[in-house]
Amino acid sequence: MNRVAVFFSGLPGCILPALLLLAWSSFFLTAEDQISVFLSLISLAACVIVAVRMRWGNVLRDSIAAHERLWDACLIAIMLALLVLFREDHYSLFLLGTIMAYATAVMGLNVQLGYAGVLNFSCASFFGVGGYTAAMLMAGTGLPPLLTLPLGGAIAALTGCVLLLPVLRTSGHYAALVTMAFALLFRVFLDVSEWFGGPQGIPVAPLTIAGLDFSRGISWGDTEFSFYLKYDLLLLLVLCLAYSLTRRLERSWIGLALDAVRSDEVASACFGINIQRWKITAFTLGNFLSGLAGALYAMMLAYISPANFTFADSLLFLSILLLGGIGNIQGVLVATVLVVIIPEKFQVIQEYRYLIYSALVLLMIVFRPVGLLPRKPRVYTGNPA
Amino acid sequence: MDLLLQYCINGLMLGMMYALVAVGFTLFFGVLDVIVFSHGDTVMIGSFAGLATYWWLHAFYPALALGWVALLVLMAAAVTVAFLGVIVADTMIVPLRKGPALNTLLATMMLGTVLRESIRLFFPDGSNPQTFPALLPGWSWSSGNLTLRFDNLVLFCGGVLIIFLIHMIINRTRLGMAIRAVAQDEEAARIMGVNYRFVVLATFALGSVVAAFAGVMNGLYYSEINFGVGLLLGAIGFSSAVIGGLGNIYGAILGGFIFALLQTLGAVAVPFASAYKDVFAFGAVIVLMAWRPTGLIAELSSQRV
Amino acid sequence: MNPSIFRKSLLVCCFALFLAFSGAGLQPAEAKTTVKVGYIGPLTGGNSSIGLGARNAAELAIMERNKNPGGEYAFELVSLDDECKPNIGVQSATKMAADKSIFGAVTHYCSAVALGTVDVYHRFGLPVIIYGAVHPDITYAHNYPEVLRIIGTLINQNQVASKFMLSQGYKRFAVIHDTTDYGKSHKEFFTKYITEGGAKVLAEFGVTADQQDFTVELTKIKSLNPEVIWFAGLYPQGVRIRAQMEKLGINAQFQGVSGLKSDAFITGIGPELAEGCLSFLEGSPLEKLPKGEEFMKAYTARDFKNAPDAMAPFSYVAMSQIMDAVEKVGPDRKKIAQTLRAIKGEDTLIGKVSYDDHGQNSEPYVSKYVVQDGKWLVWEDSEYASGKRNLKK
Repeated sequence: MNRVAVFFSGLPGCILPALLLLAWSSFFLTAEDQISVFLSLISLAACVIVAVRMRWGNVLRDSIAAHERLWDACLIAIMLALLVLFREDHYSLFLLGTIMAYATAVMGLNVQLGYAGVLNFSCASFFGVGGYTAAMLMAGTGLPPLLTLPLGGAIAALTGCVLLLPVLRTSGHYAALVTMAFALLFRVFLDVSEWFGGPQGIPVAPLTIAGLDFSRGISWGDTEFSFYLKYDLLLLLVLCLAYSLTRRLERSWIGLALDAVRSDEVASACFGINIQRWKITAFTLGNFLSGLAGALYAMMLAYISPANFTFADSLLFLSILLLGGIGNIQGVLVATVLVVIIPEKFQVIQEYRYLIYSALVLLMIVFRPVGLLPRKPRVYTGNPA
Repeated sequence: MDLLLQYCINGLMLGMMYALVAVGFTLFFGVLDVIVFSHGDTVMIGSFAGLATYWWLHAFYPALALGWVALLVLMAAAVTVAFLGVIVADTMIVPLRKGPALNTLLATMMLGTVLRESIRLFFPDGSNPQTFPALLPGWSWSSGNLTLRFDNLVLFCGGVLIIFLIHMIINRTRLGMAIRAVAQDEEAARIMGVNYRFVVLATFALGSVVAAFAGVMNGLYYSEINFGVGLLLGAIGFSSAVIGGLGNIYGAILGGFIFALLQTLGAVAVPFASAYKDVFAFGAVIVLMAWRPTGLIAELSSQRV
Repeated sequence: MNPSIFRKSLLVCCFALFLAFSGAGLQPAEAKTTVKVGYIGPLTGGNSSIGLGARNAAELAIMERNKNPGGEYAFELVSLDDECKPNIGVQSATKMAADKSIFGAVTHYCSAVALGTVDVYHRFGLPVIIYGAVHPDITYAHNYPEVLRIIGTLINQNQVASKFMLSQGYKRFAVIHDTTDYGKSHKEFFTKYITEGGAKVLAEFGVTADQQDFTVELTKIKSLNPEVIWFAGLYPQGVRIRAQMEKLGINAQFQGVSGLKSDAFITGIGPELAEGCLSFLEGSPLEKLPKGEEFMKAYTARDFKNAPDAMAPFSYVAMSQIMDAVEKVGPDRKKIAQTLRAIKGEDTLIGKVSYDDHGQNSEPYVSKYVVQDGKWLVWEDSEYASGKRNLKK
């Protein structure tokens, strides 16, 4: 097929649903009063139910699989369109930024848990290590701010090395305990250490790249752009990089090795796969991604405190992964959007939001333990799909 | 010297509370191979159930002797929590165990949040700390820096008694034999005619009763309860059970006392930074896990390939 | 290409758009003269009792204003939760400050939160009056024209507190503080003033906000045998520390800071153990105020679910001042901030209010409180001051 034909065959499967998604999400983000929030959620649910009833899900999925590039381009286009649409609305842009930062961090968790099967109950802590690294480096050193981003990731990965030995030696619930203990320890440590600002938290200096101050808005002619827009663009770039990295990783022989390690350690050791090496790689890479996302998120937030990086937040990251379907990074994107936005939009349930949120996740685990979009098993048909 | 003794007494009380929570974790792990993380919040529910019972008794039978009140509070807490434990096991834990272990862990963590938030929102004035009534006589004896209290002694002895009773139930009764059989090999136990569902639910009831006792003990010891104690208590109970070696009751008890020792040691030994004691305790747990990856008293297991 | 897929997709698209627009149509039209004003405070979590009381008071001020036929504007309250956590607070503040339809706000009980959010208000230019956070840096670390504070700083509070304690003849203090800036800066000023007065601080302990067991710290304190255990932090921990002091047989005077003065402290610990505990708080108690009884009557008449608690009068006055400013200069953030700054010597529910060049209310009055028979009483009215009862020595 030539390019034009590919484009047109992708039209019904990709572009129309993408347009639909754009229309819906722009409406949902602007919805202020509770009636329209409810209505938009109900309309989404209705669409999903109709789609499932008419068996369009499979059609959509096949179309996505066949036109992956196009679909990815559509997603990016949607995001850009939303950013332009909300150029003045600080709060919506902030939410979009949060979604992208969380999604990037969960990509890291996905490499650990989804591919290599390494349990990590302290994802938010590594996210926090990245954030605090950014804050300390920007305040205390003259390093170029752009360099603090990868450094945030690198230091998160280094911190993870402290846990390597116990993580490698333990498995199952014992491994869960090690990372859980780390998450609790990290929080208490930040709470009591004077150097890191204590429970109070510390301000994070805004990012500047080549004289471009990220904490100021842009005005272009008559239109004003929120300062969050710059962060959102950078976060979009980081998310795209993380996405394509994990995607490529999954499809490479490394992904195959990681899958083997996860499914059966003994068997894969018999085939000559070095289990320890791949576990270390996955754990470190995952922490790097979480730390990177955390550094950028901290800069966007401009103010971080230990309360951002608690054990409960690690659980939030895990439930995003579980909700989306462990191992499926497209699922991660969908789940992040739902988990971040819905509680924000339901101000009516203010006091009850934790209760309702945890009850929903609970029901989800009991009734659909595989998540919204479960990862498909690898298929070997000769066509790379 | 008396200072040291006082630290020991504090540590022992703390350790007893942790041990009782850890026993629940390890019992559930034994029969079902799952971690029920909401167990810490079950403890909290136990103390609130006790408090509600006390209010009720105080309103309708103000003349009742304190001893009877204490007994009724304990019984009511035990029954409520056992009921809760059985329902949770039957509707959630057993159906979930076919899936990956992570799902159960996450689901029970969410359940813990649900319990915690329910108390905060629906218990009268639940977001504020509540006074727990002194149901035991507050006789005390002091010498220098040392204060011995009668109620603490009763609580500690009660804890020992509970542990002894569990030991007897597990080792000397038919139910205990069934529990051990299911823990060892579920299928073989079923084939031998063990009523699997009954054993699982009985184990949950048993573990929850211990949690109720820990909850009431927590209330009596601190004279104050609040909705938030469950999360940290759960994390500490889980840590204790794991350091001891999951599935082993004596390991859990040992783990509980070790954790209390670590916390007390962290606060006493580093005088300039007592706030770092939890950092110290959890750090020590991580090191312990690196040294003994399956706990101090490891389960006997072989890997089938 | 498959035409049926195309048709189906189109159908769904139309369906969704229809739903979306039918939803949009339901948004109510706004009345012309409605002006939105904001409130941020801890509505959930451990400090919600104070935050809900203050929110209700702000709402009360608005209800009374709207009932009044005079005035050009109708006011509408937008209230957000900061959970007493800086990160959540910054988010809520950003949300409120970025909303251009909001023209002023009454904010924050917790100093940790306020310290983080003042920059946000400045960046977006939203005029706020802080009703309950007492850390000095909130107003004095910068000179933001938008940020005002109606409550006094903890410097005044600790001056009064240390003078009082010294006058009672106390010389040996043990200090417990939470590790937030609120606790730390209380500790800084209190220890400074009492050591200047010749008293001794025997030990200092930092504790975290969710610590449950204080027996180790208290055992150490017991061996030092202080006359006073001074706690800088909020009441949930105050309850635990006071209860565990009793368990360890420590017979020292228990003294707190403004964060202890909440009715929830007494219900949490019970009247017997609370008896004789001390606290210090900016402003006079309601019953002492000339219009206090009136306020209380109006508050109870509204059937709010929560008691007003300590900060309600401050929030009430702050909200009234913002509405006055809107009536005076119209909905314009800059002008409102200027008008508020210019307030000098205004007679209000809480006494005279004047803002200095940092937007700090410069006429603070600190009251001393003691628990007597399960109630917080002003020291001067208590049986402790008249000598009928004695503090612990």
